[in-house]
Amino acid sequence: MTANPTVELDRAVVADLEAIMDEPGSVLTDVSSRANRSRVPAPFPVHRWAEHMPAAVVLPRTAEQVSEIVKLANRARVPVVPRAGGTGLNDGAVPLRGGIVVDVKRMNQIKEIDMIDRTVTVGPGINMLKLNEELGKYHVFHPDTPASYPCSLVGGRIACSGFSLLGSRFGHTRDLVISFEIVLPTGEIIRVGDGGGKKIRKSSTGFHLKHLFMGHQGTLGIVTEATLELVPKPEAEFAAFFAFDDYLRAHRTVHGIVTSGIATLAGTVIFDEKKVEYLRRDDEAFIPMPPWVNSVVATALYGTKAEVSEASKILMDLGRREGGRYTGDEMAVGDWASRHDRYANPLHGRLADGSVAPMSWHCEDASLNWSVIPQVREEWTAITQKYVDRYGIFDNWGMYCYTNASYKPWGDYLVEIDIGIWEEKLDDEKWAGWVDLKREIAKVSLAHGGSISSCHGTTRVGDAELVPEEMGGGWDVMLKIKRALDPNNIMNPGKQMLDQAYE
Amino acid sequence: MSQSSGNGELQRDFVEKWRENGYNCFSSGHKFCREVCPVMQVTRNENHTPTAFHANIIAMDKGLLDIEDVADDYVHCTQCGGCEIRCPNTLFVGDFYQARTETVKVVRAARALMVDEGLDRDGWKLWNRLTNELKNEPVLGIEGDRPTGQDHVRDWAEGLDLPVGGETIMFADCEAAFYRTSNTRATAQVLQKAGVEFGLMNEQWCCGGPAAEMGYVDQSRAFAEHNLADWRASGVKRVIAIEPHDYIHFTEDYPAYFGEDFDIEVVQIVELVAELIKDGRLKLEHPINKTVTYHDPCRLNKRKNIHEAPRYILRSIPGLVLEDVDHVTQWSYCSGGGGGLPIEKPEITAEISDMRLARAKELDVDMLVSACVWSERPLARAGDEVGIEVADIIELVAESAGIEVGGSRGVSQPTVSR
Repeated sequence: MTANPTVELDRAVVADLEAIMDEPGSVLTDVSSRANRSRVPAPFPVHRWAEHMPAAVVLPRTAEQVSEIVKLANRARVPVVPRAGGTGLNDGAVPLRGGIVVDVKRMNQIKEIDMIDRTVTVGPGINMLKLNEELGKYHVFHPDTPASYPCSLVGGRIACSGFSLLGSRFGHTRDLVISFEIVLPTGEIIRVGDGGGKKIRKSSTGFHLKHLFMGHQGTLGIVTEATLELVPKPEAEFAAFFAFDDYLRAHRTVHGIVTSGIATLAGTVIFDEKKVEYLRRDDEAFIPMPPWVNSVVATALYGTKAEVSEASKILMDLGRREGGRYTGDEMAVGDWASRHDRYANPLHGRLADGSVAPMSWHCEDASLNWSVIPQVREEWTAITQKYVDRYGIFDNWGMYCYTNASYKPWGDYLVEIDIGIWEEKLDDEKWAGWVDLKREIAKVSLAHGGSISSCHGTTRVGDAELVPEEMGGGWDVMLKIKRALDPNNIMNPGKQMLDQAYE
Repeated sequence: MSQSSGNGELQRDFVEKWRENGYNCFSSGHKFCREVCPVMQVTRNENHTPTAFHANIIAMDKGLLDIEDVADDYVHCTQCGGCEIRCPNTLFVGDFYQARTETVKVVRAARALMVDEGLDRDGWKLWNRLTNELKNEPVLGIEGDRPTGQDHVRDWAEGLDLPVGGETIMFADCEAAFYRTSNTRATAQVLQKAGVEFGLMNEQWCCGGPAAEMGYVDQSRAFAEHNLADWRASGVKRVIAIEPHDYIHFTEDYPAYFGEDFDIEVVQIVELVAELIKDGRLKLEHPINKTVTYHDPCRLNKRKNIHEAPRYILRSIPGLVLEDVDHVTQWSYCSGGGGGLPIEKPEITAEISDMRLARAKELDVDMLVSACVWSERPLARAGDEVGIEVADIIELVAESAGIEVGGSRGVSQPTVSR
């Protein structure tokens, strides 16, 4: 009798996994190992935890092991779910149909630091902060710094095509990963890049497979090695925050800054009124600001001293031109330095009566053009308020808006609305309400010509059903690719609407 | 799902007590703690993350698992506290909501539940049984005729002419009293030289801290009661804790056990010695011409925010060159010697101390200086392999003050039979 892979694996399959791994403690079928790899920080239907448990977990050390595991999964028709840091804000690493979780945290070696051609080659299980601790000795860094900088891992960054807070200056994950090795859904190990050898950054030979194998949320394979960009450590950093009494002034100010031609601009962030209200209320480390402040613009420059020194004067002028007030050095230095913690901190929310509840942070992260942001903000805020009122388990923590394009700060923005969700109180009805809320927000993004997600992905119900609409004619191409590469639908099945490839 | 022994009431109490704290972490799930955790840096197994330690409580609440299923996971912790201070919850909103993420306490409570349910580990069981018999920890191992226990608790002080009792006593930690006696001897002589009036404890039992760390709450409390009664009987008002684990136990567990009745002042040796140097009562005049780096003991740095005093001391020693690593970077450093880990998982302790020495090696130093005698055994073993000496900060102070210390810096690893 074949075991139900969502509950347990056939004993013969476990034995095969153990033979492949050949290391005690690297094939885990106990309930603790499975329960602790069922979720990510994204809101989780805790009342249905058991449905998200894998049947087994493996902790490989080599690409060959990953390849053999995937081949075995094809033979046994058991789902495989890749997991790196498990810090995603969507469901990429959450098993939807049980199976084998391939947890790559042990593949965290630095294999080569090449100071001549300026690359570092690593395993997918390494964290960027840890990597940069090593790279610091060579006066270079790998500038992929998302809010999850202290905890996310390179493998997940590639699978989600991540966003970096410094992306407008140094590029995002897709720009900072030169090439990588990936185990395909049928087990072959290939290397993809722009073309050529693993350290080539630009090529026009063949299809650009690197981009195909990024951002697929683990549905097209498992990354087992990556060659990353090394960037000279900036000599100077200059951060400035400006406060506004009006969101539209803040919005116009950002436009002035990003189109000014300052090449050292690493990014801008707008905090909207609800965000300022939230930070004022619930973030003890937030610098107190006068009551008239309802929006904040944060900016940062990175470069040589000569560049940053001159550009900072232009920036200070542009920041104030629309009535912005510089918030002081304390905030400029302190808040920018703590940006990773700041943007990951909202762990509590307020109920309608003002009482505190532990809440999970959901960050809905569309890509939108600058011109539509004020309108989208109004619509998102109204939708969220409707659900806050209706269900009593949500809280609106306001919006951030970050420059989204690589190497240039204008054009489109990662626009996010942060919503607290009291998971402890979830039942089927409230979960369905949550999914409806997500879907309504996503539809607004599409209606305004945006993308549902800049970096978190769209694997979760509520977003997933809208992916075909966003992709248009490209959706059919995606289905053909999925089916061609993963004929047995074993690689992270159930994500997006990719099951349509097998209908 | 397995069934735990008993009727599950104790587990329900545990869940009830820690569920809210657990949800504070579970709701976030961001795992900023993962890469600072010394155990996690070695095992890379998500079961051993602080996140999992909290999620398990929620899973128990939901009926997904029992303490038996996660007992071995909770062994994987040195109780260094790095996770707590790296938690965005603690850093940004903890005080605001009175909701610091408590992970060390969760681990200790889970281990206490393991003891109550008969799920405690063999090594810990034996260690604590022997401690209960000897009244001190079996730090010299259990084989052969080892000079441990109450008959030998003051052997280290031979020839130092130290009184017993008085208003201030120096509490000689078990590891320092029996194993690294250079530590106790250096401390006592430094205090003598600075003119600090102090005595030794009348009948010194183990502080009870290790028992508390491994989940043996009743034993820990019984030892604390003995020690407090002994202090009261000899009029002790002030205890000098020469070791960070003892310091934690005296300043956190004893007040929890005795409430307002606990009116003993507790002083940490590095803070006292720094003061003595500052006040000019202790003169460090003999140069030590070595390049050293300082290991921030977890319980001083991560749990008590004590990191300035030891650096002040080291900078006061003539000739000494300090290649310092800032105390925040050291949130992810550890010796692996705490929380009973070396008793149950010596191979993980060894890897953690190897990593620590590798970091010291990169600085091209002669010596790694610690201020925690429990860290010094695993660090010294790892240091031997890479040619870096490991010393205690007070041993260096003694040397610079011109004191002939005597005693032993320890050589062998104790063995605990299963």
